[in-house]
Amino acid sequence: MATTLRTRSRSRETLLRLSAYATILLALVLTLFPVYWIAANSFKFDIDIFAVPPEWVPRNPTLKHYDQAFIERPFLRYALNSFLVAIGTTAIAVTFGTMAGYALARFSYPWQWRKHVSFWILSTRMMPPIVSIIPLYLAFNYFDMLNTKSALIIAYTAFNLPFATWMMKSYFQDLPVELEEAAIVDGDTRWGAFLHVALPLARPGLAATAIFCLIISWNEFLLSLVITLTEQSQTLPIGIAGRVTQYTTYWGEISAAGFMACIPIVIFAFIVQKHLVRGLSLGAVKG
Amino acid sequence: MLKKGKSAALFEIGGGFEHWAERRLRYLMLAPAVVILLALTIFPSLYMFYAAVHRISPNPELPWQFVGTANFARLFSDGQFHVALRNTAVFTIIAVSLEFALGLGLALLLDKYIRRLTFLKTVLMIPMMLPPIAVAITWKLIYEPQFGVLNEIMYRLGLPTQAWAGDVDLAMLSIIVADVWQWTPFIFLLMLAGLASLPVEPYEAAELDGASSWRQFWDLTIPFLKPVIAIALLLRVMDALRLFDLVFILTGGGPADRTKVLSLYIYQVAYRFADPGYAAAISLFVLFVTLILSTWFMKRMRLVE
Repeated sequence: MATTLRTRSRSRETLLRLSAYATILLALVLTLFPVYWIAANSFKFDIDIFAVPPEWVPRNPTLKHYDQAFIERPFLRYALNSFLVAIGTTAIAVTFGTMAGYALARFSYPWQWRKHVSFWILSTRMMPPIVSIIPLYLAFNYFDMLNTKSALIIAYTAFNLPFATWMMKSYFQDLPVELEEAAIVDGDTRWGAFLHVALPLARPGLAATAIFCLIISWNEFLLSLVITLTEQSQTLPIGIAGRVTQYTTYWGEISAAGFMACIPIVIFAFIVQKHLVRGLSLGAVKG
Repeated sequence: MLKKGKSAALFEIGGGFEHWAERRLRYLMLAPAVVILLALTIFPSLYMFYAAVHRISPNPELPWQFVGTANFARLFSDGQFHVALRNTAVFTIIAVSLEFALGLGLALLLDKYIRRLTFLKTVLMIPMMLPPIAVAITWKLIYEPQFGVLNEIMYRLGLPTQAWAGDVDLAMLSIIVADVWQWTPFIFLLMLAGLASLPVEPYEAAELDGASSWRQFWDLTIPFLKPVIAIALLLRVMDALRLFDLVFILTGGGPADRTKVLSLYIYQVAYRFADPGYAAAISLFVLFVTLILSTWFMKRMRLVE
């Protein structure tokens, strides 16, 4: 009796394990196939892209579309713009977000300001970008800043700064306050304790926050679509969307550019894998 | 709580002897972020009120014409706006429900087996990190009616091929599937983190009491996961409400306005129909709805302290 029960539960366990592995495998295939497919198509000649039935593996691989996109057409320029804008907004957001995050994690304020300010900052992160494009567009137009990278840096700061503040607040809250107190007792100033003790300890969090800001900015589409119209200022996503026209879609080119746009993101995702959960939940869930 | 109080007390003691900046440090450290965010959010919101009560000509030479509440009144009679509102609601409800069900289901199934497989988890996370534009063109390629992979699969299975994103009845579904592909991992990852932090003792007690695993799920797992579920749903709903990139590339809002969502409609009104005043009125409506929704959510779920 006891043995049959144990065998039955063991075979149930095996079945569960097998079905779990099968599910993981299926999820992997479904996750990776679309990414593989865009990569595969970027290496095909046009005629092979249109082949029916589809060519699952490029038979005649070529770098033609990469040459077209990055040499003949200005995709390298777009990528550089994306990069510069991402660096600029990340620098601003991380600098001020770290200070604000530290202040909200450590200091007390009268009238529950800490709670109200935290809440307000989080709610600015919830604001859909479409809502701010009209005033931003009109303001940038007024200051003659349309089609500039500075305008994009300013616009992106609107969502990166609340993000950085909340992330850093959550990292600082995890640090023991005693170390900073010891530094102050040893004669350091309050600011010195932040700069020399808390900041170095929060370095992994700082790096993760910066990488998330870079990713979010690199991926952004709508604001860039509205604010920039020239080659000198447009970002990579806009460049890609520009090759999907009403009449033709330049499949090879957009596959090449799209795949290249994904590569830095995938590398970054692996760098921040430990911080993914926290980053994606704005510091609310600790992974 | 005690820790924070202690550090504040120390700060007060030191404060008396330091110069002004040191005493004002708590405000000085917070001020830049607050000022920047005020400039980037409050100013646009106020300016939008101003724009919404005017008729703004695409010609910058012409003065703005005050029209009072006319733009807001149009919200009630504009059929296109109602279509966009309904499409956004349909998309948000269906996409987020599917992502939630799939993500939670997968997390429950795989919790035991995948917890330590960090590399595998990271691979599964790739879709949501990718640029939405890259995701959109990838699915455009898959949905392509003539040479797309999906129709090849349909053909092999002996099923009728479809126009997918170009089909009146399937367009919204096509958008939803692409979104589910990109964002299910998000729910999955958060639920996995939540499951990993569950305490063991209540389950042991329940086991002793002979509670079925179904009961354990409803009476223990779901209540414990509630905070994580709340933040996951909040972020997904806010994201779904702002959907733009996928629709812009996959369907452009068509066919027959079946996938015209609010963000796209505002974009079209502002730029294609060159009517920023009315677009501002719609934007204010969207801002109002998202603020109410997110505030309610955050307060209710006690996300702040």
